[in-house]
Amino acid sequence: MSSFGFGLITAAVLAIATVGFTMQFAVTNVLNLAYGSIMINSAFVTYYVNEHGVSPWVALIGGVLTGAIASWLLNKFVYTPFQRRNLAPITVVIVSLGIDLIGTFGLQAIVGGGYVSFSQSQGHEYHFAGLILSGLQLIIFGICAVVLIGIHGLLKYTRLGKAMRATSANRNLARNSGIKTQFIISTTWLISGALCGLAGTVFAMNAGVFEATSAQQYIVLLLAAMFLGGPGEPYGAMFGAIIIGVATEVSAAYVNPQYKLVVAFVVLLGMLTFRPFGIFGSEKTN
Amino acid sequence: MGHYGFYFAIILVYGAVDSMACLGLNLQFGVAGISNFGYIIFQSVGAYTAAVLSMPNAKGSNGGFQQYVLGWHLPWPFPWIGAAIVGGLLAIPFVFLVGKRLRGDFAAVGLLVSAVLLNLLVTNYVPLFNGAAGISLVPPPFQSKWNTQGLAYQFSYGAVAVILTIGVYFLVKRVTESPYGRSLRAMRDNDIVADSLGKDLRLQRTSVLILGGMIAALSGAILVGFITLWSPGAWGYAETIVLFAAIIIGGAGNHKGAVLGALIVPLGFEEITRYLPAVGNPELVPALEWVAIGLLIVLFLWFRPDGILPERRRILSGNKNAPEPEPTKSDDETDALIKIGNVDQLNFRELLRLGEPVNDNRVILSTTGLTKTFNSVTVVSDVTIAIHQGRLTGMIGPNGAGKSTTLAMLAGTLPPTSGQIFYEGRDITSMPSNKRALAGMVRTFQLASEFKKLTVLENLVSAIPNQSGDSFFGSLRGKRFWGAEDRGNIERAKEVLEGFGLSQYADAYAGGLSGGQRRLVEIMRALLAEPKVLLLDEPMAGVHPNLAHKIGDQLTRLCEGGMTIVMVEHELALMDAYCDPVIVLAEGRVLAQGTMAELRQKEEVVEAYLVG
Repeated sequence: MSSFGFGLITAAVLAIATVGFTMQFAVTNVLNLAYGSIMINSAFVTYYVNEHGVSPWVALIGGVLTGAIASWLLNKFVYTPFQRRNLAPITVVIVSLGIDLIGTFGLQAIVGGGYVSFSQSQGHEYHFAGLILSGLQLIIFGICAVVLIGIHGLLKYTRLGKAMRATSANRNLARNSGIKTQFIISTTWLISGALCGLAGTVFAMNAGVFEATSAQQYIVLLLAAMFLGGPGEPYGAMFGAIIIGVATEVSAAYVNPQYKLVVAFVVLLGMLTFRPFGIFGSEKTN
Repeated sequence: MGHYGFYFAIILVYGAVDSMACLGLNLQFGVAGISNFGYIIFQSVGAYTAAVLSMPNAKGSNGGFQQYVLGWHLPWPFPWIGAAIVGGLLAIPFVFLVGKRLRGDFAAVGLLVSAVLLNLLVTNYVPLFNGAAGISLVPPPFQSKWNTQGLAYQFSYGAVAVILTIGVYFLVKRVTESPYGRSLRAMRDNDIVADSLGKDLRLQRTSVLILGGMIAALSGAILVGFITLWSPGAWGYAETIVLFAAIIIGGAGNHKGAVLGALIVPLGFEEITRYLPAVGNPELVPALEWVAIGLLIVLFLWFRPDGILPERRRILSGNKNAPEPEPTKSDDETDALIKIGNVDQLNFRELLRLGEPVNDNRVILSTTGLTKTFNSVTVVSDVTIAIHQGRLTGMIGPNGAGKSTTLAMLAGTLPPTSGQIFYEGRDITSMPSNKRALAGMVRTFQLASEFKKLTVLENLVSAIPNQSGDSFFGSLRGKRFWGAEDRGNIERAKEVLEGFGLSQYADAYAGGLSGGQRRLVEIMRALLAEPKVLLLDEPMAGVHPNLAHKIGDQLTRLCEGGMTIVMVEHELALMDAYCDPVIVLAEGRVLAQGTMAELRQKEEVVEAYLVG
């Protein structure tokens, strides 16, 4: 039962990460495989601010800003110029793998290979409904829940959110309807990048100790959660993240914990083979 | 000398192994367009297979300190052959991922994830692969007869590795330069179009996955026999990215480029770091190596996407000295300049191998209740039509009327949501599009659909059905087997090209032509696919009006000769001149049907469309 509690925290972190990842795919049609490297870079920025005596919860702002700015720059100066050349989508994916190497190992070259951790306490242990969660985990869960509700409000009730949804449904049509799609795309990358930075930081907090390559396999969870809910669907991403997050942690309690990613792999390969447009999705036009 | 001699032998083996691996990946990625991000699995599995086939039983003489399967203690070359076979078999499950329907980047992600998954399993499951520790004491070939530590042995090993790599080079070149290789490159440039011309994408991808997998596995076998160690840590998915970097830098699609890339990236990086002083933290040098590989990928894709040695342009016209024609300028300008060819003098009957004219006006193609729904929006609704043999049937309607969708369902590009399609009396509703093409139903596309990195002549020849060199085994039999036939096909394509007045572009890349010229290439290509029913989606858009009329005349003559044509077109003047009957679609339904003169009398048609 305690693994279910861990699963909930993992799922909450994965949910904000996947929502950011899937929003990037939705508005620009890019599978940004460098996402994990931006997550871990953001975590390290938070870590260094924290090292200077700032509370990790304040330092977190540094991580969020890092994620937002780095993602925005990446889209503006790398992905968009490549896409303008009308290349096959795979070219941009290969570019994103190259960026991932640069981001991850550039960080490792700077910080070295050792593990680090934030100076923060785990807080009290709370028991309820059979779950055992630390205060830290509860705060992480709370942050993720607030952010997800915020994203829901943004997409559902604001002009910006509606424009984002329109742009992801059909960019040309959105532009012809008077939506400033370039602005919307930039804003989406800023917001999704902020989610990426936040996710990276709370992922590192939840893990306890982390190093430069800690997020390398996280992309598998992201992809599994995204394809489960349907690529480009923010609500699908939340759903997929909950299933994948809980399933990986619960399975870890029954099999060798080294194998906990296997659930995500199997889900992802199954979805790609049989329903690449997600459980609820259907084939898109054009 | 001795020290340098050993070093040279090592370079020889590593260079050969890396080159061989890159050749296999280049066949998949550079030629066939399959982004196999899981490629390293095949090399790893090949190495493991060769290791356990050459090692004695795990419980016997080895002291039992490591666990592994098989342990057959086979003499050379059987472990290497076994490795290649297992590498080929391993490719089969991946066919599901690279099958016809999945986007290329999604399939690539699936392969990447498979590589990570298998590595994870191998690292953690001890009985099969001895876990993260890997296997050591792999016996090198001829261990009992030769001193495997001697210089002579090491050099011989290097020589064998190089000879095998040269053999692989000629093998992949043989496949690439055949009509089959042309089909693979067509699939790389535009798989949906290649499918519509009758290419079996699944079969093509399977053959390339298997051959590439065998090559990768063999390279792994050669490596493991030399270093006598196998450890899962050395085969992480990032190693695949290194090979991709090699191919992108060397020149994707060019096998010499693949070898060059192998010598620069995997080999070069490995060797340079041996000479770097150890500075900073222990991770610094390897980390910077990875950063450099990432940078090389991004910078090359931006500044030199074709690599150091770009893919060679194939000159089929025989005119080797012809310079590549100037890239064309704007459509209007160039199309006005086109020398309008002798389309009207072409003997299409002979060129396109049409049978004797049978014009019995029977129904050759029909639909009942054809419906297509996307995301609960109905685009085509209950369309029931009958297409008569030997007629040029027009299809008109406002934007969004469902014309192109109907055409796509007829050709099999899109599956209908409900309804049936009959062709020559058979229900073909669930027949795949490439089979329909082979049965004589060939379509063109509304959007540009040339094979960009094939020359104009290659575009045309690739469409000709039943080429003996256009199969995997046909390509292996070599030019002596298919050469004469191919020359005949090229001559036919050249004549058609001349008829359309585009001879001077024969050896130009189709991607460099103007919009109107690409249209013509597409029409010619569809004709060379020897259709019985030709489905044209706005074929005249962007074509010079004079030429459009010449083509219209020819289409009429083709119909007189027994061909059936369905043409979606916006230009009503063309409909007036050539099409009978004309089907009017509006909001996904058939609104009316008849000659243009009849349709002009119908109020609802005029309201929906003609007045606009």
